[in-house]
Amino acid sequence: MKNCFASMCWKGLRAGFVIAGMTLAWAGVAHAQSAAKTAADAAKKICAGKTITIVWEAGLQSLDPLNFSGPLWEKETGCKIKVVEVPTAEMFTKIMQDYRAGSGAYDALNVVPSWMPDLVQAGALEQLDNYVDKYGYRAELQKIAPTYRDNQMKVNGKIYGFPDDGDVFIMYYRKDIFARDDLKKAFQAKYNYPLAPPKTWKQFDEVGSFLTDNLKKEGTYGASFFREAPYAMLMFQERFRVEGGKFFDANMKATVNSPIGVRVFTEMRNENRFMPPGVEKFGFVENLATFLKGESAMTISWPPYGRFAAGYLGSEKALDWVPKSTIAGKVGYALPPGGHPQLALGFALSVATHSKNKEAAYLFIQWLNSEEISTKRVQLPYTLRDPFRDSHYTDPVYLGLWPDAKDYLAALKAASQTGLLDLSLIQTDTYEEALRQGVGRLWAGEDPKTILDDVAKQWDATTAKIGVDKQKAVYNAWAAKSGAYPK
Amino acid sequence: MTPLAGRHRVRLCLRLVAAVALTLIFMFPIYWLYMISFKTASEIYAFPPKWYPSSFNFDTYRVLFRDGDAATVGNSLIVAFCSTALAMFLGFICAYSLARFSTGGKHLANWIISQRMIPPIAVVFPIFLLYVWFGLVDTYVGVILLYTAFNLPYVIWMMRSYILDVPRALEESALVDGYTRWQVLWKVLLPMCRAGLAATTIFTFVFAWNDFIFALVLTRTEVATYTVQITHYFGGQSNFWAKISAMSVLGTLPIFVVTAFMQRYFVRGISLGAVKG
Amino acid sequence: MRSGQRGTFRERNFKYLLVGPAIFVLLLIGVFPLVYLLMVSFQGITMTETSTDFIGFANYRQLFSDARLWQALLHTVIITAIALPIELVLGLAMAQLFLDRLPGRAIFIALLVLPVVVSPIVSGATWALLFNHRFGPINQIIGWFMGRETILLWTINPNLVYPAIITAEIWQWTPFMFLLLLAALGSVDRSQIEAAAIDGAGWWRTFFRIVLPAIAPVMTVAVLIRGLDLFRLFDIVWALTQGGPGTLTETISVFTYIKGFRQFETSYTAAVALLVIVLLSTLVMYLLRRVELAR
Repeated sequence: MKNCFASMCWKGLRAGFVIAGMTLAWAGVAHAQSAAKTAADAAKKICAGKTITIVWEAGLQSLDPLNFSGPLWEKETGCKIKVVEVPTAEMFTKIMQDYRAGSGAYDALNVVPSWMPDLVQAGALEQLDNYVDKYGYRAELQKIAPTYRDNQMKVNGKIYGFPDDGDVFIMYYRKDIFARDDLKKAFQAKYNYPLAPPKTWKQFDEVGSFLTDNLKKEGTYGASFFREAPYAMLMFQERFRVEGGKFFDANMKATVNSPIGVRVFTEMRNENRFMPPGVEKFGFVENLATFLKGESAMTISWPPYGRFAAGYLGSEKALDWVPKSTIAGKVGYALPPGGHPQLALGFALSVATHSKNKEAAYLFIQWLNSEEISTKRVQLPYTLRDPFRDSHYTDPVYLGLWPDAKDYLAALKAASQTGLLDLSLIQTDTYEEALRQGVGRLWAGEDPKTILDDVAKQWDATTAKIGVDKQKAVYNAWAAKSGAYPK
Repeated sequence: MTPLAGRHRVRLCLRLVAAVALTLIFMFPIYWLYMISFKTASEIYAFPPKWYPSSFNFDTYRVLFRDGDAATVGNSLIVAFCSTALAMFLGFICAYSLARFSTGGKHLANWIISQRMIPPIAVVFPIFLLYVWFGLVDTYVGVILLYTAFNLPYVIWMMRSYILDVPRALEESALVDGYTRWQVLWKVLLPMCRAGLAATTIFTFVFAWNDFIFALVLTRTEVATYTVQITHYFGGQSNFWAKISAMSVLGTLPIFVVTAFMQRYFVRGISLGAVKG
Repeated sequence: MRSGQRGTFRERNFKYLLVGPAIFVLLLIGVFPLVYLLMVSFQGITMTETSTDFIGFANYRQLFSDARLWQALLHTVIITAIALPIELVLGLAMAQLFLDRLPGRAIFIALLVLPVVVSPIVSGATWALLFNHRFGPINQIIGWFMGRETILLWTINPNLVYPAIITAEIWQWTPFMFLLLLAALGSVDRSQIEAAAIDGAGWWRTFFRIVLPAIAPVMTVAVLIRGLDLFRLFDIVWALTQGGPGTLTETISVFTYIKGFRQFETSYTAAVALLVIVLLSTLVMYLLRRVELAR
């Protein structure tokens, strides 16, 4: 080697290094830039007229593969896509039943991330690491926003799904109401701090009740939420953790009935008093209608609210179930009180283990999830897919969709950094169901402590049935994720 | 006017008033549901509630036909119609045998009705398994077979009691006259239980038409019925009320027409021909 | 009726040929599920456990100590016990009303059958909307009568959930009783009624002594069918309350749905299903025997 530092040898060596470096860089760049292309090219070779069946949420969501991604994929690869639409409430059931019956009717799947431990345990989801490496997808996977990437992709350290939907609860508020001088003055006088979107739940209580008192005669309430049990249950999960609560203690005993839990339950019910009467039965659309018609000043919900409120529907026929927004241009976006929004539900793309076209199915989901294609998909006006990649939050086209889009994307991006994961264990639904029923009883007027004690008892019974050690391992794995508890 | 006619008039009037009131009450929810198919989203979620739409446009219906959703009503029609025809035929002849010959005694009759005690939710998965093995999932044959089996106990038991109501005399004299038993069944007995047949047919059709849980599990894309299609409109983040409503209109109109046509079999005022007993 | 002893094979076995096809279809679809349920109820299959080893009577033991299950049964019985008589009486009254000529009768009857044809899920969702405080007309109408805004949370208030469910159920299924009984009343022998009238019998007497016994067979079966269906009530409850608040309105079908379809406790639900079948069979057999004795 010593001699090599002399002229020719060194020059040659240097050239060699440069060429090698450039080749690697080009390969890296080529890989990173064309995960979509890689998938499409590979699929062209193995598809040849085959049909890939994918399970998708029925209704608005499935317009994506039906009208956009399905036909586009078929054009590029010759593989046909068959979309099996399943109502949201039945998706888990149909996937599990199909797996248990071994019918192999589904190739690719949409799964809610909190179901992944159960589905993986049952053996219904295909492990994807080998495919990811084969088609060089790791680089683009890394570019998914941290909270989704680190929390909704792997089970036991292995990849089972690609996070494909940036579902998160953010706060929407009426900028114009918060800017009114008369209200600002009165609020400052009463509470000694400026009127602004609340940062804590105590502030929310004060701001909300103040606004209702002053605006009720105009037909507007301070706030409205979707309080129906399935949604409120998710909000409880967020708020409970934000206030310092833990779901289980070190011995895997349920601690939802801790003083924090009781306090959260009590406050939730108290807040209903300054919300529209009947709010306990508000679902997604009821709450949306109330907000879009200007009847509430604050609300918390998934990202589609922001797009709908801004009137970003185009003349989409598919969206004519959305009430006309009377508040376009008047909506501000913020993190919910506590600053740690729930990454409620969401979707990941997976491959079914009984599929007869696993590789083709995998290529389809890689293509769907890739930078290039996903950016287009999250901008479809009729889609319910929300931004989930770092690049989505800064995409120039998205930024230009409506005047306040930049604030919207900024809020979503902030949410993606601090979001909290849905609780997800073995038999998640059993635990969630106990909580849902608890919320129902809360609205019915029962005592919060009694309700939560019952919930904790049911949780403990379920844990015992599953096996404390077994569940503890899964829970600890979940709790170790960055999005499990606020840091 | 004689006192009798006058009293009759008053009674008729009262009956008419009662009929109208009853119909209004029963129709109100249907009215509300149907109106939704013409309302805009803002009107559906208006506070206070709006009782009528501001305009009657048929856009939603157009969309349903264009997107092929309306085709699921066609699937429901095929499946319900075929299974009803099959169930009525097999069930009627079985009921005749049970009623007139007490075939199988009490045990057979009781076994048949016990089939209706099985909660569908519990057997849906084993039937799904069975169908996977025989490749019947998402096929017309599979669903029709299931609905037929599902409705047979109902048809058999209903027709058995309607047949028991008909005196045997007519059949016996027909036999003496030289009719074969098969002819007696169709030419003599059938006309006598037209009312019961009509009622049973309607509800057999309705049970097949309304089924959700079996259709949900046993169909995917080919044979999706309208009940399953409607549930697609209830989402976690969306609610296509206009479509739900329009589909319901499409889904109930056939029955309305059929019942209006068949109502003359139920009521008095028709001469049924032969004297009973 | 004696069948001819020397008839052809077809004649001699006519009655068996008639029941054959129906039984064949019933066996085809009906046997495997029951066998499956029986087998599976002695295994330990859950969402996470797929081993088919026999675990004895564990599921059945769990049945008897499951308070939620028995509460669900109680809820179901309550709903059935309240809705069934109302549907019967109302249906009978309506059938009597439309029995004789009436202008526009055809339209009335056709309209009145519509509630039955609306898919139960949709009817549940519609009633949920009707009962909705903010977007539905029922509270609005009540408010008109009371003279002030009435806030009744029909699907949340524990005192109102049962009336709400029962109202929706009666609305949907009374037309069933109505039509069935109309057909039965229509075939009651007119001459007997006229004879009784001539003898001076009042309307009620005629009704109880002549009409009721005549329609008894059909009425029994109608009550039986409706009762069994009420026991399996699912869609309306699910659409209105999802079994809530808590588990207050959970019927046995809602319970089975949650346990079987959501939580995949396959073996346990099989045991529950068998329990329900046994309970219903016993009840129905007992009732049928009593009705037969009365006749």
